[in-house]
Amino acid sequence: MKKLRMPLLVLTSTTLMLSACAGFQTNNSSEEETNEEGKTVVDFWSFWGSELRRPVIDKIVADFNASQDEIEVKHTYSPWGDIWTKELAAIAAGNPPDVVINDINATAIRGKENQAMNLSEFMDDSFSEKFYPELWNATLYEGDSYGIPFNTDTRVLFYNTDAFEEAGLDPEDPPSTWAELEEYAAKLDVKNGDDYDRLGFYPLWGVGYDVWLLNANGENYFGEDNNVDNVNINTETNAEVLNWLKSWRDRIGEDVVNSYQAQIDSQQGNPFFSGDLAMLVQQPTFYTQISEYAEDLNFGVAPLPEYEPGNGHTSWGGGFVAEIPEGSSDPEAAWAFIEYLTGAEAQEYWAVQNFDNVANIEAAEAAAENDELSEEGQMVYQMAVESMENTLLTPAPVEAPGFYNYINPHVDEFFLGSMTAEEALAQAQADVEDLIQKNQ
Amino acid sequence: MAKTDDRSDYLTDAEQAESRSALNTKPRYWEHRGNRNNMWRLFNFVLLAAGSLLILSPLWWMFATSLKTMGEVMSYPPSFFPESWEWTNYIRAWQAAPFTTYTINTITITTLVVIGSVLANSFIAYGFAKIPFRGKGIWFAIVLSTMMIPGFVTLIPQYVLFANLGWVNTYYPLIVPHFFGSAFYIFLLRQFYMTIPTELIEAAKIEGASHFYIWWKIGLPLTKPALATVAIFSFNGAWNDFLGPLLYLNDENLYTLQLGLAVFKGQLSTQWNYLMAGSLLVLLPVILLFFFFQKYFIQGINLSSGGK
Repeated sequence: MKKLRMPLLVLTSTTLMLSACAGFQTNNSSEEETNEEGKTVVDFWSFWGSELRRPVIDKIVADFNASQDEIEVKHTYSPWGDIWTKELAAIAAGNPPDVVINDINATAIRGKENQAMNLSEFMDDSFSEKFYPELWNATLYEGDSYGIPFNTDTRVLFYNTDAFEEAGLDPEDPPSTWAELEEYAAKLDVKNGDDYDRLGFYPLWGVGYDVWLLNANGENYFGEDNNVDNVNINTETNAEVLNWLKSWRDRIGEDVVNSYQAQIDSQQGNPFFSGDLAMLVQQPTFYTQISEYAEDLNFGVAPLPEYEPGNGHTSWGGGFVAEIPEGSSDPEAAWAFIEYLTGAEAQEYWAVQNFDNVANIEAAEAAAENDELSEEGQMVYQMAVESMENTLLTPAPVEAPGFYNYINPHVDEFFLGSMTAEEALAQAQADVEDLIQKNQ
Repeated sequence: MAKTDDRSDYLTDAEQAESRSALNTKPRYWEHRGNRNNMWRLFNFVLLAAGSLLILSPLWWMFATSLKTMGEVMSYPPSFFPESWEWTNYIRAWQAAPFTTYTINTITITTLVVIGSVLANSFIAYGFAKIPFRGKGIWFAIVLSTMMIPGFVTLIPQYVLFANLGWVNTYYPLIVPHFFGSAFYIFLLRQFYMTIPTELIEAAKIEGASHFYIWWKIGLPLTKPALATVAIFSFNGAWNDFLGPLLYLNDENLYTLQLGLAVFKGQLSTQWNYLMAGSLLVLLPVILLFFFFQKYFIQGINLSSGGK
């Protein structure tokens, strides 16, 4: 047994030594939420850890901390996407952070599931007026808000002005309807045998089929008030739109579509930067990539073309909210920070530094004229602000969480050619109605 | 030791000579001499080299991307060789997050996990293999049945348990469970222990050794190859673990390398060159481990597939 003592001794002493390290100090007292100076500590989780975003959010947090002497916000970065798995576990265990950045489209569902706190008690009626109504409405569950819109996005059409001139098109007059889009695209194509030296346009790069459905209908599947009583998936217009989208694919050819698609999806290499693609639908933030990777590219930006003249340039957006998870140790302090985070000053700073669309209207409009942006930057931002007015969100109704997962497989089958558009939409409609029934 | 020809026991010399000459006249397909032999070897070599190149190509792509500028990563058509070799990517990637701290953290966790896995699993497996006790079969079945439960099912309950212990934001949830054995390793080691003759254990017992002593002095040294397999697997598991640190660590100073790498992947864009540079650096110990312990890696695969 003597020989056993040595290794056991080593093991015990290492254990003791390690228990002095930070990672081994347990925190049993149900987290006392004040720091040494007696300030309330607000735990703030975001997924903004990149070289670009991290300094911006850290500056906003520092500014808030300096602006008053009762609260100290502690910002923690967690990986994009996975942050919400982590949050969910923390809520289940009863020790969540105090403020989290979360997806705007499922805010109502988190409210219903008691994952996020009802924020209505903290605000007066005029508070909501600061934000784009479409964004604000997406945060409501039974009339109460469960998250405050932070940033958002929209979809606009980027086009290569040099290519326009080459093809004899006026760079000041981008396509404004679907018919024009087709006409322009055909003129911009430069074919080389079966391949393309330059492709005019393909509607499903950068956005999904659903954006075009939204654009054609001017509303989402559940009507203007996002009510599950009317599910408008299997409609004539939708079938027509799907067939229109497929006609592009058939015309350009599967192989060409796939080879371009792979690059755009992987975010490695973008044919728009090299001039191999003349028009592309993207978020306005795409501009930051153009200015970084294709400085010399001459481009313009336009609203999403409309389905028919007068139909409206409806675009699609999403975004993020700042919310207080259920179980936060100090909601009052958390709210004070959220108010600052979504206020005009912090929002404009975020907008300009990140070239990101923000939810606060005053801040967005100020950012479009901010001198820190280049002339091109102002042009794109101005378009983003204009497009916001026509931008719809597609929040999942609480009775139909994840409804897209019930539509997409059928639409995929349509694009693969194993179903007609009508069949695909009919099945999707039935599946979504089933889903709603299960959740009612 | 080479296998002796069993037939030599019952064949006469003449018969043996005959059978040998019969074998010699018909050389096996791998025994072709001269040019044909060389051609065959060349063919094999080329085939294997081509296969290796194919398998290594993603690694090359990773390496090439890690040396490109983001502009080149984004350029179309993609380039197979970097235009300018941006070695500074490695430095910048390393500095994009406190990777030195993350490395120390990861090494600490991994070391303890490996120690825990090797000792605990071996100890438990010894018990199941060599100590007779009532209900052993049932207990063993219960242990094995834990393999059937997908990790995601126990995720939240486990988190709640550790949160109640006050262990969230510490390394304990990442390390302590490994000191209590895991079904797969227990099974693997038990199979190995079964091959050790019980007489050996009994002899030691007659000499007055306790089970603990036998495990430590006889069991551990004799099961080294299997322990190496467990060590390698648990090293890989702990080194590459993403979900555990993600869930349990809240303080960024405690983060591990895998969490650090996620910094390069954002909602809208990915810093491919840094991500690849960082990933290669993080992968390096695993690759080195493979080169040094290749034998055990392969043995491990054989052991775990049951085809020893």
